[in-house]
Amino acid sequence: MYRIRFHGRGGQGIKTASRILGTALFLAGFEVQDAPRYGAERRGAPIFAYVRADRRPINERGVITRPDLVAVADESLVSLPMAGVRQGLDHHAILLLHSATPPDTWQQRLNLAGPVITLALPAGDPGRPSHTPAARLVGAAARLLGSIDRQALEEAVMRELAALDQDDLAANLAATLAAYDETAAHHGAVREGAPISALDYRPPAWLVLPFEEARRAAPAIHAAATSVAVNTGLWRTARPVIDLHHCHRCWWLCSTFCPESAIAVGDDRSPAIDYDHCKGCMVCVAQCPAHAIHVRPETAADQGERS
Amino acid sequence: MTRTLLTGNGAAAWGARLARIDYVPAFPITPQTEIIETLAGWIDTGAMTGRLVTMDSEHSMVTAAGAAATTGVRVFSATSSQGLLYGMEMLYAIAGWRAPLVLINVSRGLASPITLEPDHNDVLAARDCGFLQIHCATCQEVLDSVLIAYRLAEDRRVRLPVLVNLDGFYLSFTREPVVVPDQEAVDRFLPPHDPENIAFRAETPMSQGVAVLGGSAYSYFRYQMHLAAAKALTVYDEIAHEFADRFGRCHEAVECHHADDAEYLLVMMGSFATKAKEAVDRLRDQGLAIGLVRPRLIRPFPADHLREALAGKKGVAVIDQNLSPGQGGILHTELAAALSQGRPRPMPVLASFIGGLGGRNIGAEEFYEMARVIVEAAATGRPPAPRLLFSDEELREVRKLQAVARAAGRTGEERP
Amino acid sequence: MSGIKNMRDLPASHLLAGGTPMCAGCGGLEALHQVYDLLGEKTVFVNAAGCMTLLAVYPFTPFRGSWLYTAMASAPAGAQGVRDALDILRSKGRIEPADDLQVVVLTGDGSAYGMGLAATSGAMDRRLDFLYLCYDNEGYGNTGQQYSSATPHGARTATSQGSRGYPGYKKDLFAIWAAHRPAYVATVSAAHPVDLATKIETARGLQGPRLIIALSPCPTGWDFDPAETVAIGKLAVECGVWPLKEYRDGRVRHSRIPKARRPVAEYLARQGRFHHLFKPRRQEGLLTEIQARVDAYWAGVAKNEGQEG
Repeated sequence: MYRIRFHGRGGQGIKTASRILGTALFLAGFEVQDAPRYGAERRGAPIFAYVRADRRPINERGVITRPDLVAVADESLVSLPMAGVRQGLDHHAILLLHSATPPDTWQQRLNLAGPVITLALPAGDPGRPSHTPAARLVGAAARLLGSIDRQALEEAVMRELAALDQDDLAANLAATLAAYDETAAHHGAVREGAPISALDYRPPAWLVLPFEEARRAAPAIHAAATSVAVNTGLWRTARPVIDLHHCHRCWWLCSTFCPESAIAVGDDRSPAIDYDHCKGCMVCVAQCPAHAIHVRPETAADQGERS
Repeated sequence: MTRTLLTGNGAAAWGARLARIDYVPAFPITPQTEIIETLAGWIDTGAMTGRLVTMDSEHSMVTAAGAAATTGVRVFSATSSQGLLYGMEMLYAIAGWRAPLVLINVSRGLASPITLEPDHNDVLAARDCGFLQIHCATCQEVLDSVLIAYRLAEDRRVRLPVLVNLDGFYLSFTREPVVVPDQEAVDRFLPPHDPENIAFRAETPMSQGVAVLGGSAYSYFRYQMHLAAAKALTVYDEIAHEFADRFGRCHEAVECHHADDAEYLLVMMGSFATKAKEAVDRLRDQGLAIGLVRPRLIRPFPADHLREALAGKKGVAVIDQNLSPGQGGILHTELAAALSQGRPRPMPVLASFIGGLGGRNIGAEEFYEMARVIVEAAATGRPPAPRLLFSDEELREVRKLQAVARAAGRTGEERP
Repeated sequence: MSGIKNMRDLPASHLLAGGTPMCAGCGGLEALHQVYDLLGEKTVFVNAAGCMTLLAVYPFTPFRGSWLYTAMASAPAGAQGVRDALDILRSKGRIEPADDLQVVVLTGDGSAYGMGLAATSGAMDRRLDFLYLCYDNEGYGNTGQQYSSATPHGARTATSQGSRGYPGYKKDLFAIWAAHRPAYVATVSAAHPVDLATKIETARGLQGPRLIIALSPCPTGWDFDPAETVAIGKLAVECGVWPLKEYRDGRVRHSRIPKARRPVAEYLARQGRFHHLFKPRRQEGLLTEIQARVDAYWAGVAKNEGQEG
C-alpha cells in the first residue's frame, strides 16, 4: 500500500492535490482512499490531506502515521510542530518539498534518516500565480510514485479541476505536467510500505485513567487571554511593515481596523504590529491614509524568529 | 415536621423549597405544571425566597438552568417527556459543564402517538447525557430524593446534575401521606450551595463550554464524567445513610423487599413497583419465596448491588415500563449486561416483560401470572420469549377503534 | 452622551487577545474587538453556534473576561440564566457589586435571524438586562456559507448556486427586534468605528434589552481579498445597502444618511459572491431590482426623517 500525506496551508490547494493524486491512482487501477483533515483553522492555517492506494480493497482508515511520501507545499510548515510534517518521517519515508533550499541542507537541519527531494519554486512573478503551489507538488508526487503515467495524471487533473475556468485549468495542468516531467530522475523513488507488524509492534502505553474532581476535570478555562500562546502569525506568507517615517501618527486607523487586535499604539503614538498574531490580512495596508504600510514576503530569517 | 397528604408534584415543590433553591427557570408541560405553579405561588406570596422565570421553551429553560448553575447558584427545574427531549442537547451540554443542579422529570410517554400518561421512555432517553438519575416510587420519596439529589450533585467528588423522576398521574397527581421535615433539620443535612471554581465573577475570568479539538482531550473530559458518575454510587450510599440517620427514612440505591431469602425476584423501577411489592406480599402469603428488587439509581447503574441481590436466585422477571423498538426493555438489557460482568456466578433465568406503556395499568393478576411464568421458566431452565402485557380484550378494543378510524383491512381478518 | 467624537478617542490598545482561529480579515472579529474594547473585561459573553464557536478552543481563550458557550438557538436563554444568577448572588450578598458582570450575547446571523429568534423574543418579553451583538456575515458561515435568512437577494452561496443566486430576500431583523420595543436596537459597521463606538456607549448607558447588528464582511464567504474587509464595509454604507440606524423610545433614527449614494453595483462588483451578476453577462434585471429596493428604502427614510443626518 502507498501511504501519502500532503501538507500545506488552507487555500494552497492541498485538498485538490490529494484528490488529483487519488483519482490518478484510481485511473491507474488502484483501490484508493483519500481525505483532507482540517483543524479549527481557516484559510492560511496548516491543513493536511492523505491518500492511500493499494491493489486490494483498503481497510485502513484515518491519519497516516507511517507515510511512504510526505509532500509539503509550504516549507514554512516544516518547523511548525502543530503541522505534523515530521510525524512518521523515518528512513523509509521520502520528504518532497517545494523549496529553494537544497535537500542535504534540509536533511541536516531536520536530522532526517530518509531521502529529501526538493521541487524548485516556479520561476516568474511571485505575485499571484495562476496556479496553486500544490499543482506542481502533485505532479512531482505522481512521478515519485512511479505507477502513474502522464495520461492518467492529465485525466485526473481534468476531472478534478472541471469547475475552474479554462485559463485557470490550463495553467494548473501545465504546472502539474511540468513538475511531472522535471522529476523524471526520481521516477518510482517511493516504495510501498508494509502495514504495522501484528507480531512485532510497540505496545500502546495504556493507563487506567484516574478519577479527578471536577475542579480539575471540567473543561472550563480558568484564565484570561490564554490564546496569546497560539502563534497565528505562522499563517502568514507575507507581512505588513509600517514605515514610521511616513506614518502620520493619525487617529490610529490601523490599530482600530486590525481584526486581530495585533496593532497597538505606544505612548509616542507609534503603531507597532504584533507579528506573533498578525495573520497578514493587509486591512491595515489598504486602510492607512498615508500609505505608510507595505507588504513584504516572509523571509527565511522571519521563519527563524517564528519557530 | 408535619405529616400531611401531598401529591408527588407537591412533594417535589416542597423538596425544592426546603433545599432553599435560588432559581427556577420554568416552562409548563403536563403533568408537571403543579410543581411550578406551587413554587410560583410561594415566591409571589413571600413564603419562599427565590426567583422563578418562565422561559420560551424547554430548550431555553435547560440552557438558563445550566447557565445559572454555572454562574454559581442553586437551580431547580422540572419538565416531562416532549419537553425533556426538546431540551436534550442542552442536558448533555450542562452535564459536560459539570454544573450541579436538580431537574425533575414527571414521566410521560413520548409521541408518537402522543399521550399524557406515564411510562419511562422519556427519562431513560436521557440516560447517556451525563445526568445522574433517581427514580421514585412514592410521594415521600420524591421530597426526600430532591434533598438527596442536591447533596449528591454538589458533592465535590460528583459535580454532575441529577434527574429525579416521578411518574405522571400515579405520583404527580396522587396524594399520599408525606412527612415534610423541618427547615432546620434540612439545613443541617444540606449546606449552602458552593460553586467551587465554576462561577462567573469579575475577579476570576472563566471560559466555560469551550470547544475541544482532538479526540484525546475530548475522551479525557467525557470519561472523567463517567468516573464521577461511577463514584456517585459510593457518595450516594454515604448520603442515603446520613439521610436515614437524620430523618429515619432509608432510600438505598437498590430497594430490596423480601429479596434475601427469595428464590425468585421481580425487578422493576418507579411507582408501579409498589404494586409489585403488594403482589410479592400476597404471593408470599401463598408460600412462594419471591421478592422485589427496585433500582432507585439508574445512573450510575448500581451493577454491584444488583449482582449481589440477584446472586443465587433461580428466576428473575424484569418488568420494563419502557421499550426500545428493536431491542426490548431497557432495564432488562442493562441488567443482563451487568449480570454477565463481575465475578462468574450461575445466572438466574431472566424473563422480560413490557408493561405500563402509556400508563397502561398492570393488574395484580398480571403480577401473579408473571411470577408463575418465571417459576416455570426456572424449572425448565429456558427463558421465555419477551412478552408485552396485553390481553385479548384489549386487542378487541383496539380493533373497534381501528374500525372507526377506517384502518386498512377488515376487523377480525388479521392473525393475532 | 458619548465622549467619542473621532478615532482619537478610541482605545489605543486592545482587550481581545490574538491567536483565535477566525479567518484573516474577519469582519465579525473586527466588530467584536472594537466592541470588546468599549465594554471591557467585566463581561461574560454568551455565545451561540456559528463562526465564533471556535473563538475559545480548550485551553485557549481570547477573552480577558468570561465566556459561556451554549447552543445555536439558546444564547439569550443562557444570558437569562447568568443575569438572573448574578442578580440573585448580589441580592443575597454572596458576591460584591464589584464582582458583577455585564451579560453580552454574541451570535452570528444564522442564530439571530433564524433559530435564535424565539429565545431572543422571550428575553425581550422578559425585559432582560443584556446586550446582544450579532455579527452578520449574511449566511451560515461556519459550515461553509450556506444561505440563511440574512442572505441578500441574488447572492451566490453554497446552497444557492444557480445563475440568479439566492432567490429570497434579507430578513428585516432590525424591524422584528424593534417591534418588541426593547431599550435599544442599532445597526453598526466596524468600518465606521466612531459610529459604532457612539452606539455602544449609548447602549451601555441604558438598561434592558439592547441589540446590535454589525454587518460583518466575510472574505471567505463573500469571496474577496481579506485586505478589502474595511473597504467593503464602507461601500455597504455608502451604497445604501447597510443603513446605519438606531431604534429608541419608539422611534427609528438614522445615524448616517448617505448624501450621494453610490450605485449598488459598485458594492456588488467587489465581491465574488455577486460575480454572476456581471459575468458572463450583466444581469440588468437583477441589478436594477436590487438598486430599486435600496432606492425605495431611502425614499422612505427621507419621508420619515427628512434629510438631516
